Amino acid sequence: MMKSFLKMALLSTALLMPAVAQAQEVVTWWDFLGGGDGVRMKALIEKFNAENAGKIEIQATTLEWGTPFYTKVQTSAAIGEGPDVMTYHLSRLPLGVSSGALSEITTDELTAAGLSGADFAESNWKAAQVDGKQYAVPFDIHSVVLYYNKDKLAAAGLIGDNGLPTGLDGVDNFKAALQKLKDGGSEYGISIHSAAGDSQWRIFYSLLGQQDGQFLDADGNFLSGDNLDKAVKATTVVADWVKDGLAPAATEYPASIALFTGGKAPLHINGVWEVPTMTDLAAKGELGFEWGAIALPTFFDHPATWADSHSFAIPNRVGNEVSPEKRAAVLQVIAWMNKNSLAWADAGHIPAYSPVRDSEEFKTKQPNATYSILADTAVFDPSSVLAGVASPVYDAAGNYLMPAVNGEIDPQSAMEQMRDDLQGQVE
Amino acid sequence: MSATDTATDVPLPARKKRFNRNEVLAALIFVLPFVVVYAVLFIYPTLQMIWLSFHKAPLIGPGTFIGLDNYAKLFKDKLFGVAFWNTVYFVVLTVVPATLTALAIAIGVNRLKGWMQSLILACFFIPYILPVSVVFRVWGWMFDSQFGVLQPLIALVAGDNVPVFRTLPLFMPTVAFITVWWTIGFNILLFIAGLRNISPEIYEAAALDGTSKWRQFTRITWPLIWPVTVLVLTIQLIAQFKIFDQVYLFGNGGRSDATMGLVQLIYRSAFQKNNGGYGATVAVVLFLIIVVFSVLQFQMLRARGEK
Repeated sequence: MMKSFLKMALLSTALLMPAVAQAQEVVTWWDFLGGGDGVRMKALIEKFNAENAGKIEIQATTLEWGTPFYTKVQTSAAIGEGPDVMTYHLSRLPLGVSSGALSEITTDELTAAGLSGADFAESNWKAAQVDGKQYAVPFDIHSVVLYYNKDKLAAAGLIGDNGLPTGLDGVDNFKAALQKLKDGGSEYGISIHSAAGDSQWRIFYSLLGQQDGQFLDADGNFLSGDNLDKAVKATTVVADWVKDGLAPAATEYPASIALFTGGKAPLHINGVWEVPTMTDLAAKGELGFEWGAIALPTFFDHPATWADSHSFAIPNRVGNEVSPEKRAAVLQVIAWMNKNSLAWADAGHIPAYSPVRDSEEFKTKQPNATYSILADTAVFDPSSVLAGVASPVYDAAGNYLMPAVNGEIDPQSAMEQMRDDLQGQVE
Repeated sequence: MSATDTATDVPLPARKKRFNRNEVLAALIFVLPFVVVYAVLFIYPTLQMIWLSFHKAPLIGPGTFIGLDNYAKLFKDKLFGVAFWNTVYFVVLTVVPATLTALAIAIGVNRLKGWMQSLILACFFIPYILPVSVVFRVWGWMFDSQFGVLQPLIALVAGDNVPVFRTLPLFMPTVAFITVWWTIGFNILLFIAGLRNISPEIYEAAALDGTSKWRQFTRITWPLIWPVTVLVLTIQLIAQFKIFDQVYLFGNGGRSDATMGLVQLIYRSAFQKNNGGYGATVAVVLFLIIVVFSVLQFQMLRARGEK
């Protein structure tokens, strides 16, 4: 009681004499991390605030992922009422920069905070630039993985001598494995989030990449030439699972996870961001089976998986510029987060910061180490103002790809419509 | 007393008096706050929006004047056609059903007495106070294609689970049903207020004459409740033309091009694609549609009611 009274007194004195006491910088932070990874991020932010008490304080808000987040960023940037720092998908960077939502980060600012391009994979660092200017600092690489129920797979003879799933490569092989799992008493062979375009886009783009298909070619044409055929093939793979009852039709996101965690589907394709969900359930003893995660099998010519990158960006604040001190504090936050991103690997992600990614601790972290190969085989969304999270491409995935997977539109016709729609939006 | 006397005795000076400066000043002072707020928050933005619709412009910031190009584009835009007909379809599915159901429930509730009436009325009104996100989550889970509590019932009829929000023909009717469930409480309240305004003596007189219940309804209740019905219909019409939240939430990630309404087209153009000029154009057209429909409806219905 006395102590808190004293604290109050000290605090009010400090407030009354801002010139004497060094002012604490409050950094307003927005993110969209509402999944299992959001809990990890909150822990990281708390750790930062504890270590920097009295100097910098992060005040974080989590907003709805996707379109709601990015429209809010867009409008708030235009009137100078945005946050000081925010998470941003690198796939969306061209769109964000073209709409003037992002503030350039100079090399001097980066150097002052102890960050340099050499600390990141070159492609990753370049993806954070538009026209040679840096607009973001990468934080992680994330992708989709294949979650598996080891007990069920072992019963179906799909676990190899090394303890990892085997016999899943190739379109026909994979489908036969799904059939075997279903015959073994599972409701579905695999659970997928089939009710929305975003999740289907990630699978589709991986399968397209495995055939070296280009969604958007260098001349700005969507699904040109034989890329259309490759896209149709990629769509057909998933549509066939649904058609034969091996994967659930039109299933919502939470339900698709529940099918896996509830033991009704022994395989599940979802982002690495759900690793914490599985870890936590297993730790509480509520999962009821041994789980693991591997990179997506190779369905076509070679391994490839869709990937995106969470990064930190600073929004433009038109008419409400922040002080140089605050910007320095923001850069410090960004640098600290990257240097402490080993904890972020607990959220399933692969750290973008090379010193952490190359550390022994990360190389032995499970399940990340099992699927960390996907950092090398990653295919990123096309770099275009029409692509990326909450972009016209994502909308088109909902309009054409999703119904094709669920058997409402024939894959051939769906891909042609998707191509024409997106081509029509090119200005 | 004396004022009325003067008014009846010498009408001319009295009428002149109405416009004396003090009264005008008082009137101005009372009206001014509203006029200022109305001008700043409604008239000015509306004019700006109309002006913006003649530009190729981002959501915020200056653009280039392009005359009527946006309007020309709009009438060729396939999406505008889809959004227009979806909106009309939604209006048809909700406005009249929501009004008639509310009237039926209000008549039922009105016959109850005491705490029972309050309880039943509260039951119907509670959904109205829910935010749309809660409504979305509740119904989303009830209809969930894998785990929804309604799916066993649906499977009885359809033979299998049905993902209602991902089945195009079921989308609008389901969202319309949920909207009626959600918003009907307010209409019921208006109707109950209207029903209570009908003097019980009229019913007593009718009962003495041996009038049947149905005749009492058609000859007494319906004509006397008509003004309230017109009000409810008009409020509903305007509200449902502006449909956005529910359709957006239930359709998110799905075939939004096939399920979107006009407001969603505005949202997509202006906020998602940063094309403020085109978004404003759709908004102007929606504004005109609502004005025309509500004036027409109000006039037609009032005229019929006065016959």
